[in-house]
Amino acid sequence: MNIKKILISLFVLCFAIVCFIGCTHTTTKSAHGKVAVITKGSDSDFWSDLKSGAVSAATEYNLELTVEGPDNESDCEAQNKLIRNAVSRKVDVIVLSAIDYNNTAPAVQEAVDSGIKVIMIDSNVNVKNTQSFIGTNNIQAGKKAGEAVEKLCKDKEKIYIGVVSSGENTENNNERQQGFADYIGTLENAEIVKTVYVSSDQDNATAEAKRLLTENPEINAVIGFNEWATLGVGMAISELDLADNVCGVGFDSNVKCVGMLETGEIDTLIVQNPFAIGYLAVSNAATLMSGKSIEPSIETSVYVVDRSNMFNKDVQKVLFSFE
Amino acid sequence: MFKYKKTKLSGLIIAVVVCGTLFSVVASTVFFGMFHQRLMINSAAVSSKQTVSQADIAVSGYMSSIKKKLNSLCAEANSCASEAELQSVLSTSARLEDDIYSVMIYDERGRLLLYGNESDDKVKDGARDMLLDKSELVSASSGFTVTDPHVNSMYKDKYPWVVTIARQEYSSLFKQQVYVAIDYKFSQIATYIDNISIGQRGYCYIINSKGDVIYHPQQQMLFSGIKSESTDKISNMTDGTHIEKDNIYCLMSMSECNWRIVGVSYNDEVTRSVRDQLLLGFLFALLFSLLISLVIYWILSKAVTRPVRRLVASMQEFEKQAEAFEYKADMSNVVEFQTLSASFEHMVGMIQSLMERVHNEEIILRKTELKALQAQINPHFLYNTLDSIQWMCEQDNSKDAVKMVGALAKLFRISISHGNEFITIGDELKHAESYLIIQSYRYKNQFTYSFDVDENLLNCMCNKITVQPFIENAIYHGLDRMVDEGEIKITVKRDGDDILIIIADNGLGMTEEQCKKVLEKGRSDSKGIGVKNVDDRLKIYFGEHYGIKIESELDVGTTVTVRIPMIEKGHENEY
Repeated sequence: MNIKKILISLFVLCFAIVCFIGCTHTTTKSAHGKVAVITKGSDSDFWSDLKSGAVSAATEYNLELTVEGPDNESDCEAQNKLIRNAVSRKVDVIVLSAIDYNNTAPAVQEAVDSGIKVIMIDSNVNVKNTQSFIGTNNIQAGKKAGEAVEKLCKDKEKIYIGVVSSGENTENNNERQQGFADYIGTLENAEIVKTVYVSSDQDNATAEAKRLLTENPEINAVIGFNEWATLGVGMAISELDLADNVCGVGFDSNVKCVGMLETGEIDTLIVQNPFAIGYLAVSNAATLMSGKSIEPSIETSVYVVDRSNMFNKDVQKVLFSFE
Repeated sequence: MFKYKKTKLSGLIIAVVVCGTLFSVVASTVFFGMFHQRLMINSAAVSSKQTVSQADIAVSGYMSSIKKKLNSLCAEANSCASEAELQSVLSTSARLEDDIYSVMIYDERGRLLLYGNESDDKVKDGARDMLLDKSELVSASSGFTVTDPHVNSMYKDKYPWVVTIARQEYSSLFKQQVYVAIDYKFSQIATYIDNISIGQRGYCYIINSKGDVIYHPQQQMLFSGIKSESTDKISNMTDGTHIEKDNIYCLMSMSECNWRIVGVSYNDEVTRSVRDQLLLGFLFALLFSLLISLVIYWILSKAVTRPVRRLVASMQEFEKQAEAFEYKADMSNVVEFQTLSASFEHMVGMIQSLMERVHNEEIILRKTELKALQAQINPHFLYNTLDSIQWMCEQDNSKDAVKMVGALAKLFRISISHGNEFITIGDELKHAESYLIIQSYRYKNQFTYSFDVDENLLNCMCNKITVQPFIENAIYHGLDRMVDEGEIKITVKRDGDDILIIIADNGLGMTEEQCKKVLEKGRSDSKGIGVKNVDDRLKIYFGEHYGIKIESELDVGTTVTVRIPMIEKGHENEY
């Protein structure tokens, strides 16, 4: 009788194990997890490249992916709303590029507190326990911009620099500015004349850049620290017909900026690798979901593109997207 | 030396069944797993090949349709009468075909002669001469040339990825060899390649004959070094599927250009899914086999364990009490157990009848033994008696001598009494009296005796020589050493259906211990019949209820009560 009991309990145990494994098996197969990628904006080439990188990784790791961003790259509240929305959807990982270093922090903190893992990309936030930062080393990128300015203006006696940046509170812009300013500080014949801040639309950026150039005619080098600022710089130089006198340096590979790189309004572009950022963010999210830890900081490379190398086989692949 | 633990039969059965099922499940799982994994990898390789060949067909399809277009354009270029006519042909074909970005005609030295595009854009100032690699075109002067994908930057603010397909043609309009080229939008091919998936994570990419990556879904990562493809190794591979340790590579050269499509899929996906399936299958098989073993155990226990256990229990019970045991054979389904059970039943019967026989034989033996004892006459008694008679004769005391001889003759006659065991109580009392007569001469004036007999009982039967041994004991042990004259009183009376013969003396008496001893041990001198002999004899003939009871008190006397059943004359043979 005793043996029969043991046999029956063994049987029941096995059955339970089979049921349990069967259940976990089917759930793991249907969806590996949910990832929400929240960008700063939605209508620039940078973000669309980042999105295709994210989608590529999500396909590879079989993840449920959403990519969204506010319409305006300075609309901190709209982004916070997206973060809270993602929290309420109970996503597993949020991949975020913060609009505001400080004002985005509370929403991120809420997400972290509710157990959601947060991977920061492109632009960091003032929250300690996020999982990782993936993106360009912005200080280095700023330094490279500084080197580009130095190289472009090596014939000039004195370099007067105008800076166009966006969102005083955005971390990546600030870091680029800082790296840039640090490098410029080491040059004896260079000074930053003025810094203006523009919002994420072409008209505003152009107008601000134009005003910068007309109010400070001594400026012979202008730098834009993100896609919109660069566009503004290029447009201003083009409209004021200063292509020969003012060297323009910018960030990212907006089609119009690339056009102006070819035609001479802009002389150097610092191009990030948004596809890689998106891909790495989502693939690391997958790593996190599988229970492993990830590197606290992952840097993606930057390319310095000028007129001479822009049509190189490899540079083309970074500079021009397929869509 | 091995030491075996004792096991129960059911434990043994369980162990065998469970081990057997476990072994078969594990063995079949391993076997099936190896077989299945190879099968899965092969089928993955096949599906990878199918996917790649589909990609080849699609991409080559685009290419061949462009080539057809190019051929017709060449024909047009040859037949058009004026540049304006040709221009409109170019513009129209660029506009009509969605995937054609731009159509161009170059002269022999690669200068742009005419062009057309979908939105009639003008070539921007300072645009580079787009005839990329003249040597490549020239070398391919016959037939088609397909360039690697590149960015077309002819028009303002437009940088699409294109593939240039060109061929050389003599143009009667320009009166020279011209190159007709079509820039085909690469995004369609790219999207197609992007969307290919082999298995869960597998993908496709394109390399050229030199092994350079033409297009890769993640080419930005390739360029920045985050991802790498071992293109050197792959470009050396032949067309077809190559199953390697981690990956399955499938290569196919395209028919329309010198590109090769490479399909990459992951073995671990397959093996993992096999492992998952196997684990699940293993568990289900385990469950199933446990169920089976439960059933087998049930059947075996019904067929084997239970009958064996019943048999064992029966044997143990039989061991405890053999006589009263009853056993009925099982109607087991297993022939062997039925036989075993039947044999046991038979054996029990045999043993019981043997035991009974032995018991009966023992009784007969005892009776015979007792008869032999009864036949014995204490020779000293005889000598003494004969001495007394001789002495009486010498004294001329013939009267007493006659009486003595008469008593002796009666004593012997009765004690022999044709060898019968049973005599009437009357004869038994006469036998006792004869003995008393003889003894009263020897022990003159030492004791008196008296009889108190229920006359109705004189014809009832009793075992012979039942009374005499107690009289002898009373004389030798009770009265012999008495100073005063002793008295022996013999009473015969009825007690219900039994008869009591009481022999009482007022002699020295015995302690309780002496009483017990008398009843326990037989007579040591083996002269005649002892007290125990009488008791045993009564018990053998009549049962435990009957026998002798001795009551004695020191200096008061001894009373022996003999209890026998009342047996009418002629019924003695029933005992």
